[in-house]
Amino acid sequence: MKPLTKIAVITVAAALSLTLGACSSNSGSTTTSSSSAGSGNHLTVWAWDPTFNIYAMNEAQKIYAAAHPGFTLDVQEVSWDDIQTKLTTIAQANQLDQLPDIFLVQNNAFQKNVTSYPQLFADMSNAGIDYTQYPKAVVDYSVVDNKNWGLPFDNGAVIAAYRTDVLQQAGYTLADFTDINWSDFLTKAKDVLAKTGKPLLSGQANSSDMMMMMLQSSGASLFDAQGKPAIVGNQALLNTINVYKQMVQAKVYTEVNSWDEYVASFVNGDVAGVINGCWILGSIQTAKDQSGKWDLTDMPALDGVPGATNYSANGGSSWAISASSKNFALAADFLKSTFAGSTQLYDTILPSSGALANWIPAAKSDVYGQPQPFFNNDKIYAKIVDYASKVPSNNTSPYYYEARDAISAAVTQILGGTDETKALQQAQQTVEFAMQ
Amino acid sequence: MTRKLRRAVMYAVLVIASLLSVFPLYFMIVSATNTSAQVLGARLLPGLQLLTNLHALMAQQDLLAALWHSSLNAVSTTVLALIVCAVAGYGFEVYHSRGKDAVMNILLLTMMIPFAATMIPLFRMFSEAGLANSTLAVILPAISTPFLILLFRQSARSFPHEILDAARIDGLGELTIFVRMFIPTMRSTFAAAAVITFMGAWNNFLWPRVILISNSQQTITMLISNFRAGYVIDYGVLMLAVLVASLPTMIIFLILQRSFANGITGAVQ
Repeated sequence: MKPLTKIAVITVAAALSLTLGACSSNSGSTTTSSSSAGSGNHLTVWAWDPTFNIYAMNEAQKIYAAAHPGFTLDVQEVSWDDIQTKLTTIAQANQLDQLPDIFLVQNNAFQKNVTSYPQLFADMSNAGIDYTQYPKAVVDYSVVDNKNWGLPFDNGAVIAAYRTDVLQQAGYTLADFTDINWSDFLTKAKDVLAKTGKPLLSGQANSSDMMMMMLQSSGASLFDAQGKPAIVGNQALLNTINVYKQMVQAKVYTEVNSWDEYVASFVNGDVAGVINGCWILGSIQTAKDQSGKWDLTDMPALDGVPGATNYSANGGSSWAISASSKNFALAADFLKSTFAGSTQLYDTILPSSGALANWIPAAKSDVYGQPQPFFNNDKIYAKIVDYASKVPSNNTSPYYYEARDAISAAVTQILGGTDETKALQQAQQTVEFAMQ
Repeated sequence: MTRKLRRAVMYAVLVIASLLSVFPLYFMIVSATNTSAQVLGARLLPGLQLLTNLHALMAQQDLLAALWHSSLNAVSTTVLALIVCAVAGYGFEVYHSRGKDAVMNILLLTMMIPFAATMIPLFRMFSEAGLANSTLAVILPAISTPFLILLFRQSARSFPHEILDAARIDGLGELTIFVRMFIPTMRSTFAAAAVITFMGAWNNFLWPRVILISNSQQTITMLISNFRAGYVIDYGVLMLAVLVASLPTMIIFLILQRSFANGITGAVQ
C-alpha cells in the first residue's frame, strides 16, 4: 500500500498548492473572512438595484461625509432573494458576525424575518428617529411588539397609470377614472375595450399582487387582530375576488404568465393602463415612443366595504440595522441624519432615480412639484406622496407570503370553476397548517 | 416512393425539432443586439445596440472581474476535481480491501442528499474556519463528487488488468502506472469529467452567493442575478450578460465534444 500513500500525499500537496495559488491571486479580499461589518467611521450595507437603492445609499454617504469627514460606506449589491437566503443561513448557522451593519428588507417580509430571526435585528425604537414624520401604514411594516425594527425608505404607494390617448379614443378623460369605485371602473373598462380593442389592465396569473392592493385599500387583511388567518367570511376579500373574477371574465384584465410578459404588455401598448406600486413608473418609461401619452391617478375603491379608500401600497422596503453591528450608534445616526433628516438627499435622488420619499418633510420640496413630460406634464411625484400619506394601515403578519400564495391558488381554482366557499376554506386550512 | 416520402417526413420533423431547440440560443444572441423595448416586443432580427448594451453592461457591473472570478473558480475546481476523483475512482477499482464496497455505497448514497440540506452546516464550517468570502470556500466543496468518482471507477473497469500486472512485473511504481498508463488511456473520460465539472462550477450559483459576502468576489452568475433584481430590467443588457456567460461553456463543450461523447459512453481509446 506504500505507493498508494505516495499518490495520496502528492495529490493533496498538488491540490493545496493549486488552491493556495488560486487564492493568493485574490490577495486582500480573501482575508476579510469574518466580520464583514465595518468599524470606526466605516459602515457596510447590503442592498439591491444600483440605479435606485444603492444609488440613494451612496448619495446619503456623500451628505453624511460632508458633516462627518472621513465617513465611508461599502455598499454591496445583493438582490432581495439573496439577502433573504443569507439572512436565513446566517441565523441558522449562528454566524452573526457575517452580517453587514445595515441591510435593506422588503416591507412585506419584514415582520416574518423579525419574528423568525429576532437575533439579526437591532431595536431602532430609541435611535432618535422621529417616526411620526412617516405615514403610519409604512412604519407599521417594520413594527413588531410595539418596537421599531426598521426605517422606511422606498415608497410603494399604488398608482393607476393610464394611456390618455386610448382613453380619449373611447371618449374618456383621466378625471373619469379618478376617485371611482371598481364597479364604475368595470363599466368604463368594458366600454374602452369595445371601442379601442385594448384591455385596461394586465397582471401575472397565479400572482395575488392586484388582489392584495385592493384588499389593503380598504384597510382589510388576510389576518385578524390576533394574527389568526381570516380568509373564510372576509367580506373585503370576497368583494376583491369578485371584482378580479369579473375583470378577467370581461377580458379587461389580461392574465400573463411572467413578470417579463407583464412589463411587455404595457411597453408594447397591448394594454392601456397599469395599477401597481409607484416603482413601476421606471418600467413604464421604457417605452420612449409613448412619452407624453401616460398620466396617473388614484386606484378604484372597493364597493360596499366599510373603510374603503382609493389608496394602497405594494412592495416598498425599509433599512434595518443588524444586532451584531459594532457601529450601532454610527449606523443609527447616519440613517437619522440622511434618510430621516435630509431634504437634500431626496431632492438629489428623485430626479435621477425616481426614488420617492416616505419621509413627509421631503415632499414639501420644489423638486416634487416639477411637471413630468412623460406623464403629460403632470406633477406626478406630488400626487404620489399625497397618495402615500392616505394609505390605510393593514396587518401583514409574519405569514403574509403563505397567505398570499394560498389566495393565489384559491383564485386560480375559482376562475377554473371551483366553488368559492370551498376554495377559500382550503386556503384558510393551508395557512393554518403553515402557522402550526 | 414510400421510402422517399418517409425520409422527407423524417427530415421535416428533424428540421422542426432542431429549429425549436436552437431558437432560444438565437433569441439570446439577437436580443443582445436590441434595446430593452425591442426585446419585450419579441424582435427577431439583429439590431444595432450591441455596443450600446456592452457599454451599459460594463458601466453597471464589473464584467471582467466577474469573468475572472468565475474562470478561476471553474478552472481550479475542474483541475482539483479531476485529480481527486480520478485517484479515488482508480483506487476503488484497482486496489482491494475489505470495506471498499461499503465505502463506495455510502459515497453513492450521499448523491441523494440535496445541497440545500448541507448548506447551513457547510456555511458554519467555512465561516468558523475563517474561510467565508474566499475562493477556497467556493472550490473545496466541489472537488470531490460521488458522480465523478463513479464515472472514473466505471471507466477504470475497462482498463486491462493484464497491462497493470505486466507493468508491475517490469518494475513500474504505482504512481507511474497511474500517471503514465492510466491517464493517457482514459483521456476521453477525463474530457467528459472536465466538461461536466467545468459547467457545474461555472454555473454554480447558490453556494457562491451565500459564502461570498463581498461583491469583490462576484461571479458571472451572481452578476446576472443582480441584473434581475432592480425595479427596471434592461433586457438587452441582460441578454448580452447571459450571452457572455454562456460563451465559455459553449466553447469548452465544442472543443471537447467528441471526447465527451466517448467518455460518457465509456469507450477507451
